[in-house]
Amino acid sequence: MSETKVAEIKNLVKDYGTRGFQTRVLKGIDLKINRNDFTAIMGPSGSGKTTLLNILSSIDKPTQGSVILDGKDITRISNRELSNLRRDKIGFIFQDYNLLDTMTLQDNIALPLSLNGVSSKICLEKTLELAETFGLTQHLKKYPYQLSGGQKQRGATCRALITDPEIIFADEPTGALDSKSSRDLLECLRLVNDQQKATILMVTHDAFCASYAKDVYILSDGKIQCRLSRGLTRKEFYDRIIDMQSSMGGDFS
Amino acid sequence: MSMGKLALQNFKSSFKNYLALILSLGFTVLIFLNFQYLVYSDALTILGQQNAEYSEILVQVVSVVLVCFIFFFLWYSTNVFLTKRKKEIGIYIFMGLTNQKIGRLYMMESMMTGGTALALGIGAGILTTRLFQMILMALSGIAADIQFHFVLQPILITAAVYLAIYFLFVLKGYVSIVRSSVLDMVSANRKNEYVQQKNWILMGKAIAGTGILASGYYMATKDGGQEVMGNVMIAVILVIIGIYLLFDGLLPVLFQKLAKNKRFLYQKERTLWINNVIFRMKKNYRTYAMVCILMLCSVTALATGFAMNERYENIQHFRNTYTYQLLGSQPDLDRQITPLIEKENPIEYSTRAEILMLDSGQDASESYQKIYGLLSYSQIRELAGLANLKCDIEEPADDEVISVSHLYLLSLMTNRNHVNVTLDGKEYHQTAEINEPYLGYLQEDMEYYLVNDRVFQMLLPKGQVLYTYNYRITDPLNYKASLDELDALTNGNPDVYTGRIAIDPENKGDEWIKVAYSVCVFMFLVFVMASGSILFMKLYNDAFEEKERYGVLQKLGYQRNKLRKAISRELAFAYVLPFAIMTLSSYFSIHALEKMMNTSLLILNMVSVAIILLFFLLCYLLSVSMYQKNAGLKKSS
Repeated sequence: MSETKVAEIKNLVKDYGTRGFQTRVLKGIDLKINRNDFTAIMGPSGSGKTTLLNILSSIDKPTQGSVILDGKDITRISNRELSNLRRDKIGFIFQDYNLLDTMTLQDNIALPLSLNGVSSKICLEKTLELAETFGLTQHLKKYPYQLSGGQKQRGATCRALITDPEIIFADEPTGALDSKSSRDLLECLRLVNDQQKATILMVTHDAFCASYAKDVYILSDGKIQCRLSRGLTRKEFYDRIIDMQSSMGGDFS
Repeated sequence: MSMGKLALQNFKSSFKNYLALILSLGFTVLIFLNFQYLVYSDALTILGQQNAEYSEILVQVVSVVLVCFIFFFLWYSTNVFLTKRKKEIGIYIFMGLTNQKIGRLYMMESMMTGGTALALGIGAGILTTRLFQMILMALSGIAADIQFHFVLQPILITAAVYLAIYFLFVLKGYVSIVRSSVLDMVSANRKNEYVQQKNWILMGKAIAGTGILASGYYMATKDGGQEVMGNVMIAVILVIIGIYLLFDGLLPVLFQKLAKNKRFLYQKERTLWINNVIFRMKKNYRTYAMVCILMLCSVTALATGFAMNERYENIQHFRNTYTYQLLGSQPDLDRQITPLIEKENPIEYSTRAEILMLDSGQDASESYQKIYGLLSYSQIRELAGLANLKCDIEEPADDEVISVSHLYLLSLMTNRNHVNVTLDGKEYHQTAEINEPYLGYLQEDMEYYLVNDRVFQMLLPKGQVLYTYNYRITDPLNYKASLDELDALTNGNPDVYTGRIAIDPENKGDEWIKVAYSVCVFMFLVFVMASGSILFMKLYNDAFEEKERYGVLQKLGYQRNKLRKAISRELAFAYVLPFAIMTLSSYFSIHALEKMMNTSLLILNMVSVAIILLFFLLCYLLSVSMYQKNAGLKKSS
């Protein structure tokens, strides 16, 4: 079962700039993500991580190549279908949380379901269930400005999970968090990956963060340079990632 | 970079954001200037000395109302401006600027905004004065050739009034910035305005508001005599306080309750817009209350203008019932008068009435003796038949009288029945008051009472009898033709004839009322536009704050359609709520006016509400489109 394909990227190329002055940011990337994967894409600044994630999450369009999500090539479908795809199949976790400060945490988490027209009873149940998992039950009535960064990011993760998406895209989810909050969040992500069989694709520059994943792809100069898979312990995996980073050089911060 | 330069740069870069503010401030300046121009230019002098004086008083009263309006409008708009600026210029605190310096920066920027608005308003005002005066005169039905004159005084007054008020609020903003903490300033926009009051306090406010509003309605429509004026004043204050409290209490309690009821909230797009309303609760309820009151003023102003104009026309009609009225002491003078008139003009109809002049007699309750004119029932019936006047009254009983009164331009008493009248020492019960012009212009000068024929005969020996001979000619404009001969007749027999009245149908005596009427129409338009633009401006600013949030929602995959729907709902609510409460309140205020003016204004009420509805619909559609653009839901190209 775990071999079911969720997303596949074939020969992805992305150029920026006007004709004649183009910079090739992604130089032919192939990547396959299966159900229940927990993949991290690492790379130094300017390696094309964010561009890749933007294309995968259908916010940006590639110059060449195809991205198949949920059996559809997202480079060829209409904007309307794209919106629906983003809404139903993808969950997003952003570096800066992007919770709506007009509403309470509970409403923020329930937002995707309530906007999708799911009955309010189910909205409530799922919200409470997720909040329980992420240790947010006490904070549900609070507004984002009353929450810490870690709480906000866990809330944002709940929001991403509530629709049971095919895949979750996380863009530097720990980028704005302290180490304790980072650990808490990553543990949570691992938990949903293990127990709820969620598929997660995470972009990060941080080796510690990447070491929570099952597979790590290292992106450099627009190409995937290598793939590392988790061994026995996270610690050992972390060491291997660090070794690889130092052997490749470049600015990973 | 110097502070001045920095302020100028900020002003330039955010100019587009404050365009709505600048335009609406400029608009208020324009209106005020136009009214001031009316006083200081010679536009009103063509109405004649008396009318010009009345009209000037009227314009000054309107100016006072406008100053109040400008005061509240500036208060509101500078507040909105302040919150927005606080966050943006709060960043400078990290660059080592003190609160005082940031405050100064704010003041400079605000003065630039205010100055631009003033310059625009005065510029546009000078250009439009002639147009304004032409429209005003045309609306008043007064033919006038209006020239443009440049007069400095109204410009100076307008600038002084505006700058004084504006500076006051800018100073208030300065103090607020100097006193606020860094955190306050930086997070001024992010914090929501959830009203943290106990539910029972909010409920109490809402109930008190409803109660006060209801008692305001009651006071406004309560019958009364001389105290009606006071009642109306109390009603105005009660309604304003009531509306404010109602919004202050009901809106938070209702919405916060709704937001807590997740089963309700998580349906359709409610979670988005209901939370948005709560997010800006304080700003919302203040705006709604203000808009509601403004609209109520506008509808009432329009109705007053209409009622006064209608009354004026009725009075004209009343006076023109007869062209000539002669008073004499003998019952058969028509044999002398009729041929004289017929020589020049054919007579349309003529009547004769016997008036019994009677004093109130020995009555301790009256400080002085009043003289009344008594009329007998049967002769009034006959007279009404001849002059085509309505006469559907029943004959009064022996102890009853009916007051035969005239139309007042603005009468405040709403209860004229069940008053006792003393005639020749005996009390009579007044059962009704009628305003049919049986005696035409004569009826305006004295108090007349209708009694039954028996009482009339009984009282006949107690007073003095006077006969009035009334004529209406087919061409009242030609009334001057018989004047000389009639005067010769009356002057030649001073012991028989006691008076002569001739009515000029083109009498310009009360022309100022027409001006008053068009000023009222104008005030209606100004207030309606102001309330529409206040709502528009508020939503315009809100939309900028929403940009980020709608961006997030789009990233999450929500189709613009859905988000637009949430916006439409939120905006519809912003327009519908104040409109609904205004519509309800206007029914009562117009009803109060109806009672005072003794006329039906229901259709006018409906028409004015419909005009506001149309205008609001337009504003709403514009707001939705603008909101979507500002919130980034529409390609701006």
